[in-house]
Amino acid sequence: MKKKLALFSLALALAPSVRADKQAPPPPAAPKGFSVPQPKTFTLENGLGVTLVPYGTVPKVTVRLAVLTGNANEAANQVWIADIVGDMLTEGTATRTASQIAEDAAKMGGSVDVTVGENRTDIGGDVLSEFGPNLVALVADVARNPKFPESDFARVKADRLRQLSIARSQPQPLAQEKFRAVLYGDHPYGRLFPTEAALQGYTIAQVRDFYDKNYGAGRSHLYVAGRFDAAAMEAAIRKGFSDWKRGAAPQIPPSNPKSARAVYILDRPGAVQSTILMGMPVIDPSKPDWDALFLMNVLLGGSFASRITSNIREAKGYTYSPNGQLSNRYHDAYWAEAADVTTNVTGPAVKEIFGEVDRLQADPPSDKELKGFQNYRAGVFILQNSSRGGIIGQLEFVDLHGLPADYLNGYVKRLYAITPAQVQQMARKYIQDDKATIVVVGDKKVIEEQLKPFGPLK
Amino acid sequence: MKVSRRPGVLAALGALVFAAASSAAPAPAPAPFTVPVEYTKLPNGLKVVFSRDTTAPTAVVAVYYNIGFRIEPKDRTGFAHLFEHMMFQGSENLGKMEFIKLVQSNGGILNGSTRFDFTNYFEVVPAHALETALWAEADRMRGLAINADNLKNQQEVVKNEVRVNVLNQPYGGFPWLDLPQYANANWYNSHNFYGDLKDLDAATLKDVESFFKTFYAPNNAVLVVVGDFDAAQTMDWVKKYFGPIPSANLPPKPDITEAKQDKEKRATKADPIATRPALAVGYHAPPRNTPEYFAMGILDQILVQGKDSRLYQALVQKNGLTGDVNGGINSGLGDMYNINGPTLWDVSLFYDKDKTPDQILAVMDVEIEKVRTTPVDQATLDRALVKMRSDFYDKIEQTGGFGRADLLASFALFDDDPARINQLEEQFRQVTPAMLQKTAQEYLRPENRTILLIDPKGEAKAPKSGS
Repeated sequence: MKKKLALFSLALALAPSVRADKQAPPPPAAPKGFSVPQPKTFTLENGLGVTLVPYGTVPKVTVRLAVLTGNANEAANQVWIADIVGDMLTEGTATRTASQIAEDAAKMGGSVDVTVGENRTDIGGDVLSEFGPNLVALVADVARNPKFPESDFARVKADRLRQLSIARSQPQPLAQEKFRAVLYGDHPYGRLFPTEAALQGYTIAQVRDFYDKNYGAGRSHLYVAGRFDAAAMEAAIRKGFSDWKRGAAPQIPPSNPKSARAVYILDRPGAVQSTILMGMPVIDPSKPDWDALFLMNVLLGGSFASRITSNIREAKGYTYSPNGQLSNRYHDAYWAEAADVTTNVTGPAVKEIFGEVDRLQADPPSDKELKGFQNYRAGVFILQNSSRGGIIGQLEFVDLHGLPADYLNGYVKRLYAITPAQVQQMARKYIQDDKATIVVVGDKKVIEEQLKPFGPLK
Repeated sequence: MKVSRRPGVLAALGALVFAAASSAAPAPAPAPFTVPVEYTKLPNGLKVVFSRDTTAPTAVVAVYYNIGFRIEPKDRTGFAHLFEHMMFQGSENLGKMEFIKLVQSNGGILNGSTRFDFTNYFEVVPAHALETALWAEADRMRGLAINADNLKNQQEVVKNEVRVNVLNQPYGGFPWLDLPQYANANWYNSHNFYGDLKDLDAATLKDVESFFKTFYAPNNAVLVVVGDFDAAQTMDWVKKYFGPIPSANLPPKPDITEAKQDKEKRATKADPIATRPALAVGYHAPPRNTPEYFAMGILDQILVQGKDSRLYQALVQKNGLTGDVNGGINSGLGDMYNINGPTLWDVSLFYDKDKTPDQILAVMDVEIEKVRTTPVDQATLDRALVKMRSDFYDKIEQTGGFGRADLLASFALFDDDPARINQLEEQFRQVTPAMLQKTAQEYLRPENRTILLIDPKGEAKAPKSGS
């Protein structure tokens, strides 16, 4: 099924051990060279950063304005206001209706999309190369001149209310909501959803206020990747953005996530699976251990051939798509393993997950096993840097976390320098299973007994 | 948060220059873009397609077998997909997990999927590991070596796949798995192709062996290589590893035709978990590769693709009945190119309990009737063509070039002509406003459609926490 495509996130591996009567795979040739595409970067006087990356052969170009604002800037009683501001940006500008924005973008072969994250809001699109400068002008209009029409506000809120209702009927968002609330408490990262009543009460004045306080050139960066005329593009950027107000500096409230060993059961009577999300806070991408921790996750649970997936999927058949993750934000991150498992093996699945953590803490991986995962990560790194969207995503990561300029160019070398002992050390230092928060959405009457051995039930 | 499946990237036009109907300054003419295609057949019948692209030092290996879930055994629903999983469980020279580890430890990603008319397997690897990937695909084409434990394990994994995607979700299977079951009358097109859990449990090693012998032969497959490779060297490897695999006698194809529908169908599915109603409409699409099929592709762009589309504008922007409109030709499990047999053009959306389905349909029908009764203006047609060309470029770049392999494999498998990839634009360009109207009149008839409603029985409340 097509759904299966979602499975290959990251992976690991190791050359199979070959029996004497079996034919060995032909070994790979010497790797071809790969260098990360080189960007041209400059800054406008109002503080807007600009990065241009000529890339590829097909005649398309991606333009993305990254504004450092998002859910992290929401007040406790205004959860999702950042998302609604994002929705309202494409509902009209001073000179274009919503329909005109959509039509103008479509004539270029694309659309203007707004994606609101916790730290960053991306406004942009992907169009035929010849329209690149026109898209820059359209993105500038959407980002700078929103009309915020009152007439469309009730409809946008109704759409968000529907999304909220649907999200709350799905087990994975419910697990996520609880996990976040436990780790982050009153910090914006701990508030995944608003209440319906709060959402209904939001006003267009609050939308304008959030926009005025959180949008501006000084906290934004424009990325362009693909095939384009550099001079025409730069001229369009200067014309579109030079006189944008600088605005306030980005404000991301520091987080202080906490976790203590406990099991939280959200009852979903009759559920045929239990949705497990278990993990704890870890160091963020700006810290020296990050690359080694990331590699550890790829080996532990973050790939098809990872140890946890090999165990609870390929050996035990408990689940279809388990996934180890390092969810990260500015100066913040947590590790978690997520898995939807058959209800009657909920306890055994948690046991196996902890078992794999313990095994890695007890013994370093073999050189051969680790080398397989390093090769895998290096291969994925090439793929991540071989598409317009991927290249911009990598640069946004570097910029958000304030990583050094040679972070990407030096990545593969640093990756291969990581030792088995370091990977073991990462598991010991950060995957502290005595601090794991374990959230399970499932049929409580069946799973409660199964989960009792793993911590106090909350 | 994602509750519905976005349609796969719609593809279209190859190269050439469109007079873009932009109100802005006239744009410079785009450079022609042609996909290189080399096509050969081995003596054992294996189709082989090469398409070089040296943008990145990577290569795609894709093997497509001409066996989809449509024609799986009648007493074994879901078997084609279960079998796909078995292809990762062990072959002559690679034991359990070894295929996956071999690809990943050489820096590659891999996957497989089962669709209406094919089952595919692919790897995207660093260019220097191409030979290894070819060897591994040939190894499992030569034969499987699996045991009862492997089968039992994957029966459990697949049942968990059905649970996580369908049984334990609100709107599980809506509309991609549900709609074909209501809209089609021929079993081959209308059965539950994810599989009844009982049928999945009933599968035996003998079934696996028989299915492999029947369908997994080189003369029922295509191998596509895309990316940074040397063609002569790669052909040597292909001959060395795939050449000795014997061909098989293929069974006759069952009749998968779908009788003409002469009355609108309407069905309601109660969903015990869902909290908001949902609606899908599916029309039987014109036969593949006819002028009407390409016209339907253009109508799809005009009606449902993007925020500028007529249904989005009418249902979302003007009437506020929903927040988004999804759909397309074969939108649930692919696109208009990677399907061979009968398929649907569909539209689906979520709405609120204070609205009725007939309110939604009334707004939808205004737009549908418009294309049936009024010729589309040239500016709208031009915009649809630009969108298709842009989508086509996205498709051929998707997942490190896998999207390009998908088109080439489909055209080789279904049409024996992968070079069709460079003729799509011309076929769309020949579509006229008159052809659009004629196609809409014939295929967007109410009698040609099935309406599926989701009746939400779930409570809009979060579960309670606490022990």
